[in-house]
Amino acid sequence: MVWRLPPLAALLLVAAVVAPISSAVRPVSDAHRSAAVELFAASSDGSLGDLETTYEAVSTFKILGVQKDKSLDGKACKLATNTLSSASSSAKDLFHAARIGGVLGCGIDAGVYDDVASRLKAVIKDTNSLLEFYYSVGGLLSIKEQGHNVVLSDADNTFHAIKALSQSDGRWRYDTNSAESSTFAAGIALEALAGVVSLSDAEVDPSMIGVVKNDIVKLFGTIKSYDDGTFYFDEKHVDGSEYKGPITTSASVVRGITSFADVVSGKLNIPGEKILGLAKFFLGIGLPGSSKDCFNQIESLSLLEKNRVFIPLILSLPSKVLSLTSKDQLKVEVTTVFGSAAPPLRVNLVQVLGSDSKVITIDNKELQFDPENNVHYLDIAALKIDVGKYSLVFEISLQDPEHETVYTTGGRNTDTVVVTGLIKVDKTEIGIAENDAGTVESVEKLDLLKDTEISLSANHLQKLRLSFQLATPLGRTFKPHQVFLKLKHESKVEHIFVVPGSARQFKIVLDFLGLLEKFYYLSGRYDLELSVGDASMENSFLRALGHLELDLPEAPEKAPRPPAQAVDPLAKFGPQKEISHIFRAPEKRPPKEVSLAFTGVTLLPFIGFLIGLLRLGVNLKNFPSLPGPAAFASLFHVGIGAVLLLYVLFWVKLDLFTTLKYLGFLSVFLVFVGHRALSYLSSTSAKQKTA
Amino acid sequence: MAALRLLLLLAAAALLVVASRGDASGEPPRGRKLLVLVDDLAMRSSHSAFFGSLQARGLDLEFRLADDPKLSLHRYGQYLYDGLVLFAPSTPRFGGSVDQNAVLEFIDAGHDMILAADSSVSDLIRGIATECGVEFDEDPEVMVVDHINYASTEVEGDHTLIAGDDLIQSDVILGSKKIEAPVLFRGIGHAAHPSNSLVLKVLSASPSAYSANPKTKLASPPSLTGSAISLVSVMQARNNARVLISGSLDLFSNRFLKSGVKKAGSKISHGKAGNEQFVTETSKWVFHERGHLKAMNVVHHKIGETNEASMYRINDDLEYLVVIYEWSGTSWKPYVADDVQIQFYMMSPYVLKNMSTDKKGLYSTSFKVPDVYGVFQFKVEYQRLGYTAVSLAKQIPVRPYRHNEYERFITSAYPYYAASFSTMGAFFIFSFAYLYHK
Repeated sequence: MVWRLPPLAALLLVAAVVAPISSAVRPVSDAHRSAAVELFAASSDGSLGDLETTYEAVSTFKILGVQKDKSLDGKACKLATNTLSSASSSAKDLFHAARIGGVLGCGIDAGVYDDVASRLKAVIKDTNSLLEFYYSVGGLLSIKEQGHNVVLSDADNTFHAIKALSQSDGRWRYDTNSAESSTFAAGIALEALAGVVSLSDAEVDPSMIGVVKNDIVKLFGTIKSYDDGTFYFDEKHVDGSEYKGPITTSASVVRGITSFADVVSGKLNIPGEKILGLAKFFLGIGLPGSSKDCFNQIESLSLLEKNRVFIPLILSLPSKVLSLTSKDQLKVEVTTVFGSAAPPLRVNLVQVLGSDSKVITIDNKELQFDPENNVHYLDIAALKIDVGKYSLVFEISLQDPEHETVYTTGGRNTDTVVVTGLIKVDKTEIGIAENDAGTVESVEKLDLLKDTEISLSANHLQKLRLSFQLATPLGRTFKPHQVFLKLKHESKVEHIFVVPGSARQFKIVLDFLGLLEKFYYLSGRYDLELSVGDASMENSFLRALGHLELDLPEAPEKAPRPPAQAVDPLAKFGPQKEISHIFRAPEKRPPKEVSLAFTGVTLLPFIGFLIGLLRLGVNLKNFPSLPGPAAFASLFHVGIGAVLLLYVLFWVKLDLFTTLKYLGFLSVFLVFVGHRALSYLSSTSAKQKTA
Repeated sequence: MAALRLLLLLAAAALLVVASRGDASGEPPRGRKLLVLVDDLAMRSSHSAFFGSLQARGLDLEFRLADDPKLSLHRYGQYLYDGLVLFAPSTPRFGGSVDQNAVLEFIDAGHDMILAADSSVSDLIRGIATECGVEFDEDPEVMVVDHINYASTEVEGDHTLIAGDDLIQSDVILGSKKIEAPVLFRGIGHAAHPSNSLVLKVLSASPSAYSANPKTKLASPPSLTGSAISLVSVMQARNNARVLISGSLDLFSNRFLKSGVKKAGSKISHGKAGNEQFVTETSKWVFHERGHLKAMNVVHHKIGETNEASMYRINDDLEYLVVIYEWSGTSWKPYVADDVQIQFYMMSPYVLKNMSTDKKGLYSTSFKVPDVYGVFQFKVEYQRLGYTAVSLAKQIPVRPYRHNEYERFITSAYPYYAASFSTMGAFFIFSFAYLYHK
């Protein structure tokens, strides 16, 4: 809950409740029972948690009357018994264990309790800490309540010791050494004091009781409140680890004052409205979110249900939305916080206020009582109110004056209701009018309740006219909150107009000439949509009227551009289109056969050359006969052959550099042997010529 | 000196071990420590079911008042929290060293945030939302009103309690189980900034909704109407930081989580509103318990080889493999999808191909390197609705053929070769005939 919101929001939130999402105070219901079962769910080993949680669970279940598994009770009892018989248990553990025993009726051995009682008494004697007092007194009280005879002999001293920790503003300190006072501590101190009084064998000093009563009044001076009459306690300083939050703090105070009020004679001087406000606070929590809150809420409410100060009576409306169509009755329930019937009382409707705080009626009307369902009811027809939102002021008066001191009703209660009904829609006309004379060129009547669509066309010199009438069930004028005409262009540019209404008539005239800029000079198809809605209108509607072909002039240079439409954020998701690379096509080549054939053709001249040589009768007679020149001539031709072979090798596998290297060696050799061979040949031919 | 070096080496080795173990044991993608900033500590109990569900999932919540003077997001350059829950709509300024920029830097550093507002939203919260691409309605005290799609209750009559059922279609954001019941919403509407493509509307208003103050008469048209109103939006930033922005704080409250809902005009009454499922599932998404992808073990090689090549030649056939895991909230599970794509990219994608998966997280594909040389990239840009973006890029050069890699014996060239070799042969024979003929 958001305690620091402005009053409006706070009101909405504080009034949070039992019944789902209601913002009204309603008594404890079955929803609480299921919430409690959910929150105090047993862990996997079947236990409910540590001692404190176990106590909170069994206690909450008992108050709410929730039936739990017997084995759970057995487990809890066993845990309590073990703790009580263990010599090392602290006062806190003994306190919780004794209370578990009390709630479940575990039948713990009297001997064990005698032992525990004496240990707790020893603690009381030695301590000066408030919490130790609280645990030991509470433990003793719980043992006493289970039928054992426990008496605190020096009750007066204990009372004084606890009282010594109180502060002047009604708060308490945790022990003598701590400087800070706390409201939560005040609650447990009061509870401890109440315990001391009931454990005492003699009357506790009445003057001391009076002082404590005075402290309680002071404590209530620090109570905090909301505008709607909700009261709660919270610490003054909300920092530090001791801070427990308003629910725990208020619950502690409620425990303290109710138990103190139970044991002292006379009434505590606490105003009834504050008790009612506390009850409203605990009910306002609605469904608690944690097991601790659940326990605090349920236990505090159960204490308020039967306390001796004042028993709060809650006025609540089961339904705050009343329909004129189904002739709902205005129903009011007055119950205790747990929803049980209140004593005989009268509920009067004293005032009805309109939404603007205007008084509608001040006739005092008594609501009839239906004892069977325990509700007070009134026909709304009798109030003669139309649809709308109203504040109803109720006054509760108890029939038996003696009850005035027992119950608190808070006197006047204000509740807000919404009266709804079917709104009559008729005389709908839509058309295009000429600009100058206002003569209507084409008017179409529309039935807004039927699905007929119209199509219109207009240019910038014409006007679009739409009119219709609304009337309430009682025939009065009705102005809904939402009366919008929406024009939606194909390019998703939207224009919304509020249709103004006077008396019953709602009429809008769209002069396109004046709207050119607003329409961004966008011609084309516009979809028309009319929405009429209100909180008290049962037949709110959103209806497509049809479409309008608009022919607007070209946009001038400086005309505003239509706003950019939102990019679709989903567009970037999803797989992209696959792309596969297109490889360069390989060059076209002739078929293998053609190449081979041409290879053959290119070889033909060589063959011709060979045949020619043979035909000519080539001989080698000029080959040197001397061994020396013959050797050089052979080497020369071997060299030429080697060069040619090198070319073949170059083609087959060698690379250029290797080839050039070999060619270098071969050419030197070839030049040398070639020179010798050729010079010999030329010398012999010269000899022949000269010869 | 030597001892020091040894020590350093050992430390480095230890770090390596830690890092590799982190992968193996399934380290979650995000830390578990959240800072919850509230206007009032009472929210701990009024919203305890939501906080309880976070804690039950192992998140460590630290509650602080938004104006706590000791508030700080980081200390000694380290962020103290891994996420932020900002449930303080009306806070005019944060306490301590935190301000709007601190929150934005926190998100820029890759942290997540849930922000909830209501009609009393302060300028500070508006500012943070605006920076996240979401603009709350600027008029004061406005609420989303819908006279047709409201939740009908016995006690509320102003139709500001919206029963929203226009949810985004995304299993990863909203969980695989369909949210059957409408989600209750009461608060302020917002719109995503048109130029922002990172914001997604998770819960949109119906066409009949509008954003206005229900208590005053409307003189001018409302600035937000219809389905343009977003009730709950999410934003996943480019650094995968996730932000959820809700216009309703009550959406997370116990009251809405536990209440039943009946949409006006509908006959079906749901025992429980969709809120609990909605907030649980969306918070799982926001805090990276779902939809977080991790890509690892990127391998590429020539087909038939196993070693990664440092360079490819045009027209090579290569294979690319990557493993993608998804965080399931408890462990890394193989991610299964059929639309993971690889791009072979230089200025623009030359190849864009779907990868095939073995359903165990391994995605692979093979393709031929284009016949264009240059410096390419293997790119996996995986962006899917709700998932964190997987963005892998690896540079790889592609070279042309070497001089000796071309085809050597081309049949079409045989006539030329035959011609030259026959000429050579003829020359050889002719040399005999010419020199020695008599």
